[in-house]
Amino acid sequence: MSKSLAPMQKTQAARSAPRAGAKGRRELILVWVFLLPSLVVFFLYRILPLVWNAVLSVQKFSLFGENSWIGFEHYRYMFEDDVFWTSLWNTLIYIASAPIGIVLALAVALMVNSEVRGRNIYRTVVFLSYPLMTVAVGIIWRWMYDEKVGLFNFVLRSLGIIDTPLAFLQSFEWVLPSILLANVWQILGFYMIILLAGIQNIPQNLYEAAAIDGASARQQLFRITLPLLRPSLFLAFVIGIMTSFTSFDLVYVMTQGGPAHSSELLVTYIYKNAFELSRVDYAAALTVVQFLLLVVLTWVGNRLAGGEAGAVKTE
Amino acid sequence: MSRTKRKPGRAPSNRYAHWPIHLALLAISFAMLVPFYWVLKTSLTGENIFVYPPKLLPVDPQPFYYVDVWYLIPFARYLFNSVIVSLLAIVANVVFNAMAAYALTKNFRGRGITLMLLLSCMMIPFQTTIVPAYLITGKLGLLNSYLGMALPTFSTIVCIFVYKASFDAVPRSLIDAARIDGLSELQVIMKIMIPLSTSAVATNVILSFIWSWNNFLWPLIVVRDPNMQTLPLGLSRFLTYHENTTGALYAFCVMVLLPGLLLFLLAQKEFIRGLTSGATKG
Repeated sequence: MSKSLAPMQKTQAARSAPRAGAKGRRELILVWVFLLPSLVVFFLYRILPLVWNAVLSVQKFSLFGENSWIGFEHYRYMFEDDVFWTSLWNTLIYIASAPIGIVLALAVALMVNSEVRGRNIYRTVVFLSYPLMTVAVGIIWRWMYDEKVGLFNFVLRSLGIIDTPLAFLQSFEWVLPSILLANVWQILGFYMIILLAGIQNIPQNLYEAAAIDGASARQQLFRITLPLLRPSLFLAFVIGIMTSFTSFDLVYVMTQGGPAHSSELLVTYIYKNAFELSRVDYAAALTVVQFLLLVVLTWVGNRLAGGEAGAVKTE
Repeated sequence: MSRTKRKPGRAPSNRYAHWPIHLALLAISFAMLVPFYWVLKTSLTGENIFVYPPKLLPVDPQPFYYVDVWYLIPFARYLFNSVIVSLLAIVANVVFNAMAAYALTKNFRGRGITLMLLLSCMMIPFQTTIVPAYLITGKLGLLNSYLGMALPTFSTIVCIFVYKASFDAVPRSLIDAARIDGLSELQVIMKIMIPLSTSAVATNVILSFIWSWNNFLWPLIVVRDPNMQTLPLGLSRFLTYHENTTGALYAFCVMVLLPGLLLFLLAQKEFIRGLTSGATKG
């Protein structure tokens, strides 16, 4: 971003430099009046909450009186809270599963980028699930995972892979992978679009030059496409991290975090604490931890994307 | 991976070499479409809710479950609420984002900081703000209101950048010419910027509609009054009350998914442009 902005800023500065005085002041007022509504929204619902979370997390929340300061009490409690560790672990698994979806999406993106007939139809079909309402997606998948008459059990039993029906969403081992599969189904098209945009930004002449030099298709993939795709892959990974937050809807509808918290994510645990158990302050402390996790992972991802050449292959 | 190693964007010499790609893409497309088919089938027959094994093809499809939805729950009420909240969000996004983007095309003191601020706000997912956002909305007296549901989505950073890219592409000479002809700032926006940015407007409308239409967590938090619930809340409530004892649940799903799907299919290009421009910019 900063790279593309810098020159633009300069030319704009040059443009409006001659104008000054009363006209300039009027323009300045106009600029801030125009920015005001958006800035108010972002201040109220992004920046202020960020600060407020941090403050709340070291306080004891009271509905009527003043909040009192209790220091890091919530964080100490968190350390001994088994459900917190479970939900943290599940959130990490969620994030760690993102590369699987991204690799699949990369394969699809490369395929629909070739000159196959009907590639636009393929693209549309793969992307079709992304704009859907996640609550409805959760209900549909819940239905397919149904123990007695669900599609998955029917297919697996018909093929003779399993004898007795599996209760996917009620079993400790299967519940998280089941939700992850539904999540990949919905997000795959989005990854594909991001990677496709990245692939199409790679200059064609690099491939032409490589072909003249006798590089094989495999070499072109690993030496040109993947390295140049690094920013897009990083972006897809950041989106993957974000889905561990946005999957609230999916988990809430499919399992409510159960059975016995085995599909609990940090975001669902935060919701439960704040709005079902009225532990607003503890929820704030959990949010701080989740936000720090997001910042650290994004930073690490960024380092990997900008770091050594091998970084992309490991993703 | 061997299928994908072909040079991107280049045609192979032999068109029959495409068949492995077709095979792979067909398999993926099939997997992507199965859930659509399954929910549609259940909503039309409902027969396999009680019977094992489920039939793969619909037997005696009938539309009764779609009628049931209107009787089992206040569907019209949910629909109305969803439409109002979405309209608020769309109008606010189209206007406020355009204003902010236009301001950002100007050079002014604090522009760099404002841009930095917007980009860092993008890194704060809404889900991490829910606790204070609830308290703030309560202090504003907006719990259980349409405005309270829509307010956090009134301006979207991605959409501001979609507008900005479009405004930046308007030739400077055109604006200068308009100025010489005596057009005011507002007239420049209304008569030049917006007419030349119709696809940015469309992207704003579509993205803010889809996001607000599908939004679940925030309405779940701010709305307790059953009369104010939107469609996703109604859907989740329906699930809690009836579990999957009736095909009406799936008819409900189909009815809720259709508007978003139709809009997406009609304006796919604008939708994707919005997502990717936001992506490559931020």
